[in-house]
Amino acid sequence: MGIKKHDGIGHLMVLPTYLVYFLFIFIPVVMTIWLGFTNNDLFTRSEFVGLANFVRLFGDAVFLKALKNTAIYSLGTIIPQIVLALLLANSLNQRIPGRKTLRLAFYLPYVVSMVSVSMLWLWIYEPATGVLNQTMRSLGLPAMRWLYDQDLALASLIIMGVWKMTGYNMVIYLAGLQQIPAHLYEAADMDGASALSKFSRITVPLVQPTTFFLFVINTIQSFSVFEQVNIMTEGGPNNATTTIVHQLYTRGFEEFQMGYASSMGVFLLGLIFVLTVLNFRYGRQGYDLM
Amino acid sequence: MIVIRRTLVTKMILLIVLSFFAFLVVMPFVLMITGSLKTVSEINASSFSVFPEVPQFSNYIKAFQRRLWGRWFLNSVYVTLTTTLVSLLLNSMAGYAFARLDFNGRKILFYTILLALMVPEQLTILPRFIVLRSLPLAGGNNILGQGGSGLVNSYAGLMVPLFAGAFGIFLCRQFFLNFPKSLDDAAEIDGCGAARIFLQIYIPNSQALLMSLGILKATFAWNDYMWPLTIVQSERMMTVQLGLALFRDETISWETLLAATTVVMAPLILLFFVTQKRVVGGLVTTGMKE
Repeated sequence: MGIKKHDGIGHLMVLPTYLVYFLFIFIPVVMTIWLGFTNNDLFTRSEFVGLANFVRLFGDAVFLKALKNTAIYSLGTIIPQIVLALLLANSLNQRIPGRKTLRLAFYLPYVVSMVSVSMLWLWIYEPATGVLNQTMRSLGLPAMRWLYDQDLALASLIIMGVWKMTGYNMVIYLAGLQQIPAHLYEAADMDGASALSKFSRITVPLVQPTTFFLFVINTIQSFSVFEQVNIMTEGGPNNATTTIVHQLYTRGFEEFQMGYASSMGVFLLGLIFVLTVLNFRYGRQGYDLM
Repeated sequence: MIVIRRTLVTKMILLIVLSFFAFLVVMPFVLMITGSLKTVSEINASSFSVFPEVPQFSNYIKAFQRRLWGRWFLNSVYVTLTTTLVSLLLNSMAGYAFARLDFNGRKILFYTILLALMVPEQLTILPRFIVLRSLPLAGGNNILGQGGSGLVNSYAGLMVPLFAGAFGIFLCRQFFLNFPKSLDDAAEIDGCGAARIFLQIYIPNSQALLMSLGILKATFAWNDYMWPLTIVQSERMMTVQLGLALFRDETISWETLLAATTVVMAPLILLFFVTQKRVVGGLVTTGMKE
């Protein structure tokens, strides 16, 4: 390697960021992988145990439940978020009165913290006096136990998740829609195309790079769901809402089984990696995103 | 004429449908505020009414008399401001170096940082805790990083891991790539070094970028829950999000919990409304580059 023009100053400007990145992202990822093969308990021991943690993982009924819950949560949030966001963005991209206010309204839940939103929805879902059951009763529908019902708890979290994240997806779609040349729509108008066929033949195919980007982002987000689970249900009732990261956190910081918890991290990292590669492989199709 | 009238009718229907959904999305926030002003018997009443008979502003006082709310707010403000300022400086500096400077290892350094975009924060939490606990010569640790508690339960521990941010670096680099290269060349002929070009040409011309990125960073720092949950071990070091979660665990009255939630959300909602043009606009222009 020869000496380059900005050696020194270039390295200096990158150094602080890189140091933080190296210490708190790079090393932790390497450590997660290494710890996954040990019996580290945070205080006394850390011995290499080979694949023992991974063998245990697939015999652990609670972890398998968490895996299933995470998959359901992800499917249940990613697809509605993307579909609703595209419909909203497409509608709010037209000239209708008050569209700016409407955009803000849909974006609002994304701005506030998951903790505060969890408090709010705990109250909404409250079986006795919560507004949801009050509304159900006044409509003559039976009251439900929502977060306390093991058949409904995960669905309740999914509804809240979609409510919170759709606005973000909508804003990204609004950006994507600006890239579609207006003359395509004008040409379609001249040919007398209906709004539906303009949407399905021009908008959907041409906004695909954005859809792909959102798939990648939402996959990473939804598969790592933790905060609302920890606050609202603590994984219950009867493990109906526990997720991979919730298991990882519980095993790691409450039971101090760092080695075992890390093997879950390795598993999730691998899962996200495979899903991202699949997204790139099948979602990109000739479009250059970056 | 008929065509125009038909599109007008379609737009009216669209507007009504969208307004209805926007109403549903915003409703939880409205109910939170009205709920926070109800009396105990109103909020637990079996028949639901949106507004309280007489607004009970004393609920807010009641909520914040308990525990260390003042201290928690100070902690959150301090952590948010410091994190935002430092990470803006570090991100833009690194982004500039990656976009404009020519130094050895530039590509490999940039791509390793990009990889971090794929790693969810949740996965790095366990080892990050171990790294911070055994940082040499910090918090009573010896040179080998043993004996003390490192940066656990400290402001540095709360903030430093948030300084890097792969997304911010990427955003800055993309933004700076759009600057005309001739600007650098002209300044260099006049004898300007890279550091001066960055500080006197790039930074002053990047207000839009720094605003949008700053708001994203501030929102993230204020809303963060999982990292503080891991690193904070005493009540005095808690941020508002942890405080709110703790408050919920020990309060049984919904009206004070809703009051506390409202106040925890308030700074962000305020920031959002003051800067919404830039956030949504900034995301639209800088967030996606194809």
